[in-house]
Amino acid sequence: MRSTIRRTLVPLGAALALAACEGRLGSRAGDTPNQAVRRDGGLGDAGGDGSIVSTPDAGDPVLPVFAPQAATMHRLTRAQYRNSVRELLGAAVNVPTDIELDTQLYGFATVGAASITVSPRAAEQFEAASYNVAAQVFNDPARRMALVGCTPSAADDACARGFITRFGRRAWRRPLEMAEVDRWVTVSRAAAGAYRDPNKGLEYVVAGLLQAPHFLFRVERGEAVASIPAMRRYTGYEMAARLSFLLWSSTPDDALLDAAGRGELDTADGVRVQVRRMFADPRARASLTAFFSEYFKLDRIAPQTRDRMLYPLWSPSLVNSMIQEFERIVGETAFSDGDLRDIFTTRTTFIDQNLARLYGIPGTFDETFRRYEWPANAPRAGLLTTAAFLANNAHPVTTSPTHRGKFIRQFLLCQPIPPPPAGVTTDIPPPMPGVVQTFRQRLEMLHLQPPACAACHTAMDPVGFGLEHYDAIGAYRTTDNTLPVDARGTLDGADFRSGRELAEAVRNHRALPGCMVRNMYRYATGHVEADSEAVVIRDVERAFAAQGYQFRVLIEALAASDGFRYAANGG
Amino acid sequence: MRRFRLDRRTMLKGLFGGAVVGVALPTLECMLDANGEALAQGRPLPKRFGIWFWGNGVRRAHWTPNGTGAGWTPRAEMQPLIDAGLRDWFSPVTGCEIKTATHPHHSGMSGILTGARYHQLGTTRDTIVTTLPRQSIDQYVADFVMNDPATRTAYRSIEAGVCRFHGTDEGTTFQHLSHNGPNNPNQSEYNPLALFNRLFGMGSAPQAAVARQSVLTAVQAEIRALQPRVSASDRTRLEQHFDSVRAIEQRLGAPSGACAAPMRPLDGYPDLMGQEQIEQKNRVVSDILALALACDLSRVFSVQFSTCGAGTVFWMVPGFRSGMHQTCHDERASADPATQQPMVHAATTFTMQQLAYFLAKLRDTPDGATNVLHNSAILCTTELSEGYNHTNDEFPILLAGRAGGRLRGGVHWRSGARDNTSRALITLLRAFGHPAASYGVGPGESNAVISELLA
Repeated sequence: MRSTIRRTLVPLGAALALAACEGRLGSRAGDTPNQAVRRDGGLGDAGGDGSIVSTPDAGDPVLPVFAPQAATMHRLTRAQYRNSVRELLGAAVNVPTDIELDTQLYGFATVGAASITVSPRAAEQFEAASYNVAAQVFNDPARRMALVGCTPSAADDACARGFITRFGRRAWRRPLEMAEVDRWVTVSRAAAGAYRDPNKGLEYVVAGLLQAPHFLFRVERGEAVASIPAMRRYTGYEMAARLSFLLWSSTPDDALLDAAGRGELDTADGVRVQVRRMFADPRARASLTAFFSEYFKLDRIAPQTRDRMLYPLWSPSLVNSMIQEFERIVGETAFSDGDLRDIFTTRTTFIDQNLARLYGIPGTFDETFRRYEWPANAPRAGLLTTAAFLANNAHPVTTSPTHRGKFIRQFLLCQPIPPPPAGVTTDIPPPMPGVVQTFRQRLEMLHLQPPACAACHTAMDPVGFGLEHYDAIGAYRTTDNTLPVDARGTLDGADFRSGRELAEAVRNHRALPGCMVRNMYRYATGHVEADSEAVVIRDVERAFAAQGYQFRVLIEALAASDGFRYAANGG
Repeated sequence: MRRFRLDRRTMLKGLFGGAVVGVALPTLECMLDANGEALAQGRPLPKRFGIWFWGNGVRRAHWTPNGTGAGWTPRAEMQPLIDAGLRDWFSPVTGCEIKTATHPHHSGMSGILTGARYHQLGTTRDTIVTTLPRQSIDQYVADFVMNDPATRTAYRSIEAGVCRFHGTDEGTTFQHLSHNGPNNPNQSEYNPLALFNRLFGMGSAPQAAVARQSVLTAVQAEIRALQPRVSASDRTRLEQHFDSVRAIEQRLGAPSGACAAPMRPLDGYPDLMGQEQIEQKNRVVSDILALALACDLSRVFSVQFSTCGAGTVFWMVPGFRSGMHQTCHDERASADPATQQPMVHAATTFTMQQLAYFLAKLRDTPDGATNVLHNSAILCTTELSEGYNHTNDEFPILLAGRAGGRLRGGVHWRSGARDNTSRALITLLRAFGHPAASYGVGPGESNAVISELLA
């Protein structure tokens, strides 16, 4: 671990970041942070803006020898907490929403979860929530019996001990040690004694197990493996939790824990067997679809504003419809056996009345979503032409070719673009009086002519120009400021004349699969990859490519990879 | 017990900051024994330390008062405070700058809350991802308050928020105010009812207290048993978890004061016609806090009226249609200072009206022979000077309250030499009675108290 971290801490200074705007797009430099996320959240060298690594960026690079990152504790995210509680106590449980917000780092709450802790207020909230959900179950004799399975006659009888042992294994995702069972039997006695009711004892045990660090955190340490002294392998139970939180955003089921107990998760093949089972489960679709929403930063749409005169359709209800359309497209495409890259070109979508109005689709629609196929000559297909993507990357009164192009470069192709230099005024002056121009024409003048601006904007704006047929809320338009829209451009050698053709170019871009793998790897592991993990990401990408870019292959290869199964020594 | 706690804090600081703090261990022990300024004869008078924060700065041309010392006249953006009769209850500090400035929002936030440069984790989108490099100044004071049994309160600190907008991808510096350390924020409570329930809604059957106690004991035992098995950094995270659980335990059975609770607020303040009910939320949050402080439930608080770089829509300002941050960038600055950025100016004035409500509420809440504001030391500030060019010089600071008589109100203190903003922080700490010799780290450190503001 030390060596891995130290490698990533080498700052190369701002030169590399600038290089990204001078023809080195495609280099890994710049996107990777100037230091790995340190799990202690501690101070590293905070001085450099530079980026790390010196991986060759063309051809078939020789990558550093694999070295994993250290194991760490991951605090449950809000979604993981909610799903886990419902998994443990029943889907009918109403989980309080009064839980502190996730901390997203590098775009993912799971990355933040590897460094946050439990603040005083968070502990209060978890305490209140745990009593709330335990009471919901124990106040209802039928639900209590369904959970406990027997009626305790004393706080420490066989029924009570058996329940603590059983429920504890599910809640803490591993068998409890004898001393732990004893500790919670003590709680059962105290609570049962106070209320003179053995059921109360178990109610407090349930609430207590949900406040313990073994529930609120995924505690991971790995274990020594004789054949690989340089690393630790995640234990079977740790792997069970890693898999279930990756695929389901929830706690492992009994089948997974049983597999762990039998040692089946100690091998890559054993992991694959479970991943195949889990991917077919509906929980995987919900959880992994949420990954794409986070990847595309869709939580940023709702807080945005739009000029009401220009965009009277803009409303919270419309935003909700936009996000649903996006997630339904992902769910439909990523969970077929097709090519995951088709999320950028599929003509299949899902429309309700809000979107039918926005998109100008004739016919009768209501609040339910209906499957809809765009005609072959329609101006839309795939995620980049959804209102969710287009509105999320726009301004209150205009489109933003810059943001749209930047998202494609930075997050879909992993080609980093440095921030504007200090002291630059980034607002866009109003149109010159008497001059009628499209927004594209203004940006060509403001962003692409001054050399200092053009150095970076050349990489962004011309890509975003491909989406100029869609306004700031994603409605189709043929003119901008009375002039015809010009959506022509080139993406790294691929010419396009429209949003659909741009989407086609993105879908076929050679950097896309690796970039998607890299983001999924961050989400899955809860850290930003070190240089010494590049080889894992490359291998997962190769497996992904070899089987027609099926999403389930990506997940399976990633889950079975060394990067997901091994941790560094020490830490 | 006390020794253990001090050792642990020392360890936290060593791990997280390696930061320069003015209190060395022997000094603190000495201070605790000596009953210094923090303790008056007999029962100590409660003093409160607070932060009232708003995002995106001010319009400087409408902010900096005319004249200095006691004979100053306010400009438009401070006028709401004057109109509320608060002139003698706060002192503007102008002309200072963040000495650790490299990125406007992040540097301003970290500089004014910790006296140190932000801790950068990486980059995102078109900006950077950071967290605070060490605990924020409110938590620094909370250590001091909670370490002394004579000043300890039921709640270590109270964090409240008003305008709901918060960023999501620039790290905790951009989202949260109070921090216990890097990536360890105390999130502000935005729901007034939840804030009310936290402070005044408790009260459970005696058998529940016994049972909860047994659970908290078991959870603490689990944390202690787990700590030796995990990495050093995870041990530190678990130490925070332990502290948080112990704080709940310490409140069990403790009376929450013979205080009249404030009016129970509504459950949420949903937008009306798409408009956020900012003024209503600010009022109820202010009312709850005033009574919580009067009841001595906590002596440390922060109000995050709006986050740094907030995209709050000040719909009550005619023509306002984007978020505040975007408006600061988009609204053109004309050559005439009196008329530039009228919407930004109006939104800032509105914000100062909300601050005026809060401070007046504290002033009008009795506290012993005086009032809560008299016994408070409050840093009112933001993360920028001007929104449109995002500068960290001419930093807007108001020091409000009288800190029990130690802090002078009604004085405009202006630096002629671009002084360090940490001068205002060390001044406030001293007025509060904190023995810190200095505050801040590296270029952000200062030991130069503004003596004109101390009574």
